[in-house]
Amino acid sequence: MKRSFKDDFNMMAMLLIPIAVAVNLVGFQLANVLRLPIFLDTIGTIIVGVIAGPWVALLTGLITNLINGIFNPVYFPYALTSIAIGVGAGYLSKYGFFKSVPKTIISGIIITFIAVIVSAPITVFVFGGVTGNTSSLITAAFLASGQELWSAVFSSSFITEVADKVVSVLIVYFIVKAMSDRYLSKMNYGDLYMKRNNRK
Amino acid sequence: MTAMIDLKNVSYRYPVSDDSVLKNISFSIEKGKFTAIIGNNGSGKTTLCNTIRGFVPHFYKGDLDGEVIIDQTKITDYQLGQLGEKVGYVFQNPFIQVSGVKDNVFEEVAYGLENLGIPVEEIKIRVEEVLKLVKIEYLRDKNPFELSGGQRQRVALASIIVMDPEILVIDEPTSQLDPIGTQQIFEIIRLMKERGKTIVLVEHKMDLIAEYADDLLVMHKGELVMQGPVREVFADPEFEKYQIQYPHVTEIALQLQQSGIPLSFLPIRDEELADALNRTEVAAHD
Amino acid sequence: MKQNILLQLHPMTKFYFTLFIFAVVLISPGYIFSFAIFPILILIAMLAGVAKEFLNIVIKALVTVLIFIFIMQMFFYPGENVLWEWGIFEIKQEGIKYGLLLTSRILAIGSAFILFFRMTEVRDFVKSLEDIGLPPMGAYVVLSTLQIIPEMRRQANTIMEAQKTRGVETEGSIFVRAKAFIPTLTPLILSSIAGTEERAITLESRAFSAPVKKTSLHQLSKSNMDRALPIVFALVVIGLIVWRFFL
Repeated sequence: MKRSFKDDFNMMAMLLIPIAVAVNLVGFQLANVLRLPIFLDTIGTIIVGVIAGPWVALLTGLITNLINGIFNPVYFPYALTSIAIGVGAGYLSKYGFFKSVPKTIISGIIITFIAVIVSAPITVFVFGGVTGNTSSLITAAFLASGQELWSAVFSSSFITEVADKVVSVLIVYFIVKAMSDRYLSKMNYGDLYMKRNNRK
Repeated sequence: MTAMIDLKNVSYRYPVSDDSVLKNISFSIEKGKFTAIIGNNGSGKTTLCNTIRGFVPHFYKGDLDGEVIIDQTKITDYQLGQLGEKVGYVFQNPFIQVSGVKDNVFEEVAYGLENLGIPVEEIKIRVEEVLKLVKIEYLRDKNPFELSGGQRQRVALASIIVMDPEILVIDEPTSQLDPIGTQQIFEIIRLMKERGKTIVLVEHKMDLIAEYADDLLVMHKGELVMQGPVREVFADPEFEKYQIQYPHVTEIALQLQQSGIPLSFLPIRDEELADALNRTEVAAHD
Repeated sequence: MKQNILLQLHPMTKFYFTLFIFAVVLISPGYIFSFAIFPILILIAMLAGVAKEFLNIVIKALVTVLIFIFIMQMFFYPGENVLWEWGIFEIKQEGIKYGLLLTSRILAIGSAFILFFRMTEVRDFVKSLEDIGLPPMGAYVVLSTLQIIPEMRRQANTIMEAQKTRGVETEGSIFVRAKAFIPTLTPLILSSIAGTEERAITLESRAFSAPVKKTSLHQLSKSNMDRALPIVFALVVIGLIVWRFFL
């Protein structure tokens, strides 16, 4: 058949995107309903990064924020953050950072840094330092105690992000572990996580 | 007669499994024939359908040996997209079998034609016709996500028939339907046969297979163990070995034979039973 | 349904209008001009018959953010002219000015986007993007996402109810509640992901990758208005740039 391997991967990977976006939204909603102090709104993006690679995850992050932006345009500029998280998770997966619990926790911390580094400039330049969420209160507290704007934004967003991202990557780790080989075999990075290979 | 579907020594193994799901299968289906594939769960019926449609090995990967020839052309020489026009495939699960991007049944049924680049005017005519044929005109403005299982099965069938493929591969299209709905689906399949389509059907409802199908393929643990005209296969004593259901009337007839009542032939349709009994009586009187 | 001239504009025309507002706000100096845009947007929303939804979403999405931002700038923006002082808190004139500028811009741009999505079906917008070159797969992904989200929300609620009846606690301490998260989300994700395989087969069965140009029952047409308005927008923006930076 003239159709290449890659095209098939694309079809499956593309079909993963809508689900991952929905997972991001439902995860956030669920965290709200259960009154958890973290957002859990990037689980879908990270899963896609882990099993389908950085580029598909990039699209997932972008579409998540575009769709959230329909009802709240504050999300639009932060599309860059979601994109960076997806690409980051993809590359971490490529280099085997989701293969064990300790490595996964390290990935979570790296993803936190990525998220903070990309979102802080957006918060500062577009919104002047705060956007009205929990991290804004912490930013305000830092500012009141005499910190500079940049370091206040960086440290407050690191504090609110780190727990969220570490918990998210751990959830992703266990979900990917629960996926069947049959499904993983159709994903770009799936063979990294297939039990069959690991036995060898 | 020309073979429409031709399999030569086909074996197939899924990428993550060690056993072959299809083992050395060869058969040939002539143009315009209605062939039913029967067998117990896990015997490889669905995999066989996927092979005819070209999803094995191009979607499911794994190792495929042997040759699959559709309408004189090796399946490896088709593009996957091209086969969509030639082989219509309705698969089991009606719940996932929607495009996922259309708001109503009319557009859902039209989706395949849009993808084939058919002009809009023609699409409308063809969709109208198929909605009537499959008796789902009343669903036209409904959201595909809000339909019952049976309604979804009809929509799935309509969505494929409308594309007018030469070959129809249909995997258990009546699992969610009541007897009347099931009968209607078989009538639609018969109509497709009259239009010259080649039909491959996976079904468990033997009474209807006996009534409508021309030929049978019997699958057992990945092997094609029996093939031939429906009547011959059911009449073959070997059939019993595979623990597959008989048509109702055949079951009864076999019990009658066992208890010593002679039959002139083995009936496979309800209306034949009396005939089979009568003729033996006539023979006895002579 | 009454035909509405504004709603009937081509999605791209409406989108160009949104970008137009975006550009105007960034080019124009000071906050008065940007604040003046909001009433104009309300007027357009009223004419299009979507004022109520529009204002609802603006209030929900933007008001807290704007208040926060304003207060922040008022207190913490660096400046000399202190207007009011209490302990470590100082309100500065520069802060108020910058706060007004920032909030006026966010209000104008944010509500322009909100208005756009109140006046445009996403389906139409995606179709118009497809017409100018978005690949069919891209269009499919966006439309399918919009259908999957409510479906998945429904399933999440069902699973959560089932968890409750099976005794999984969704109330109580934070750890108890956190423990309810995973058994709700995991099966949802796994079952949805398992379905992609059959969805792919469905799409192939409907000739999704047929090597021909697709047609569409859904057609968008452009009126003279749709041809004229983007030119007007462009001219105004160019005019503003010339006035602002070259005169």
